[in-house]
Amino acid sequence: MSDFSQLVDDRPAEGIFRVHPDVYSDPQVFEFEQRYVFERTWMFLGLESQIAHPHDYLLAWIGRLPVLISHGADGVRRAFLNVCRHKGTLLCRLESGNRKFHVCPYHGWAYDSAGRIADVKDQASGAYSAGFAREDHNLVPLGAFASYKGLMFGSVSAEVPPLAEFLGELRFFLDLAMEQGPQGMEFVPGRVGFTYRGNWKAQLDNSSDAYHLTSTHVSFMEVQRRRADLVSGNQEARQFDWKRRFEQQGGAFTFKNGHNAIWLNQSESSKRPIFSRIDEVRERLGPLKAEWMLRLRNLTVFPSMQIADSTSLLIRTFRPVAVDETEMRYYCLAPIGEAPEVRQWRLRQFEDFFNVSGFATPDDTTMYEDMAVGLRARQIDAVQGYYRGMADCVQGADEMARTAGVTPVSSVQGQFDLQAETWGHALYREWSRLMASGAEAERAAGTAGAR
Amino acid sequence: MNPATYGAIATRLLYREAALLDERRWDEWLALFAQNCEYWVPTWRNEEQLTEDPQSELSHIYYASRAGLEDRIVRIRSGRSPASTPLRRTMHSVTNIEATGLSGESMAVRSSFVNHIFDPHHRTTVSVFGWYEHTLAYGSGGWLIARKKVVLQNDQLPAMIDIYCL
Repeated sequence: MSDFSQLVDDRPAEGIFRVHPDVYSDPQVFEFEQRYVFERTWMFLGLESQIAHPHDYLLAWIGRLPVLISHGADGVRRAFLNVCRHKGTLLCRLESGNRKFHVCPYHGWAYDSAGRIADVKDQASGAYSAGFAREDHNLVPLGAFASYKGLMFGSVSAEVPPLAEFLGELRFFLDLAMEQGPQGMEFVPGRVGFTYRGNWKAQLDNSSDAYHLTSTHVSFMEVQRRRADLVSGNQEARQFDWKRRFEQQGGAFTFKNGHNAIWLNQSESSKRPIFSRIDEVRERLGPLKAEWMLRLRNLTVFPSMQIADSTSLLIRTFRPVAVDETEMRYYCLAPIGEAPEVRQWRLRQFEDFFNVSGFATPDDTTMYEDMAVGLRARQIDAVQGYYRGMADCVQGADEMARTAGVTPVSSVQGQFDLQAETWGHALYREWSRLMASGAEAERAAGTAGAR
Repeated sequence: MNPATYGAIATRLLYREAALLDERRWDEWLALFAQNCEYWVPTWRNEEQLTEDPQSELSHIYYASRAGLEDRIVRIRSGRSPASTPLRRTMHSVTNIEATGLSGESMAVRSSFVNHIFDPHHRTTVSVFGWYEHTLAYGSGGWLIARKKVVLQNDQLPAMIDIYCL
């Protein structure tokens, strides 16, 4: 499969949006999307607050490429491949820390925190040829690296638009997460990682998918109903009345470059940690942002970073390992300097809903693994998961977007049970575009299939 | 009581807990825990350090009372959780049991575990391993679990991990 143009059947005039199962299940498609998607667009790498001080560093991944982000002595953060130039060994072996110099454990080459070669061990006695002196020994920098509101992004390819342009109108929704704390935002210590045996796009979709809640998460609702009597069940996580939630208005926006956001009005905003600080937020940012922060919002920065702001605030990244294997990483995002009792409450609601050892996520991942089996069926020519809401979807901004001052590519709104799926159009149009432009660029450069 | 007696009590209780989980005797398993028990599965902060404070750091699971455990059983029994249908088959193996901090009313027990988890749906097996720290307390109901801490040594988790796998 080298012609990817037929995999996403996108005919808006006819009301058709179909995605071929190969997009999720073909190992060859997977190999190409490593190059054409993951290595040709901006990828979320971490928070600036994770490397707040000079010489702090952090490891990350872009697809299968190991990345090192380092805070230099000059205060500048930079991102490199975490690969020693001598023999290609991984340079750093611990995922975070503070190092003035990174010394490769194999042959001892040392790099400073700005990625420059500091020492080639025993260079003077090495009888190196003149050719060696002409080699670039410094760490290989990413093609692009930039931050937005404390979120660090990098791109292997230098041929990407400026980060602010890439994020575009989605920035309003990123602000709603990243501006919650007057002193900035941080990850709460503690890592949650898991691996599911399914394609990364199952997770890509699911974060925006309101349609599955009333079927996949019924057991969680049952637990919540039982807790709601305030006598039984864990009372440390506040309970939401799902009946009232289903009466709320909600919607979905698509944005340029593959991003999307969904929202739902919140009937019980007092049950969310942000509510305890909403007066401060209103004073600092104005009533519009305060009002939006109290809505439930999930957003996706294509292709592999998501923020969910519902019972608690989550940043999720995923790393495709194989066509049917995906490594997940969940982070609990919180305001720096948050009151201890609010932090505790935030943690309990995060663990309850989001953790893979909690009440919701394992039911999702179980579906992802079943999809990986089902989508191997060659007899199925398309999935039908991106049709809901199409008939009501408008181009550009709806009333809700206009009040936010945001101009999406498309908008749709309705009562909860609309559960629109039009967010998928942004994802698969961008996927399709990157696959086509990646193939075209390699053809032009004469490197197609060269790896 | 002499230390050996404490050890025997601890061993009996831990073996019983393992068997009740494997045999899905949920009510009897819940009855091993004190009403105000703490149940804690800390996350790792990084490769080398375990989190230390469930009130300021993220846990895999943290419950400040038995009610949290009861919720898990409600979910398992609901029949409406895809991750629990079919239930995994488990085999809890508890070894290296050591009772310390002995007093008339309580003891601290450290043990090692290797739990094998079979998914009859996808026909795959995973294992989780690490150590348990139980605090056992003696009351009117006999010896009960007042605190259980599960340190997961392999913390890159599979796609689902439920209370009966730990």
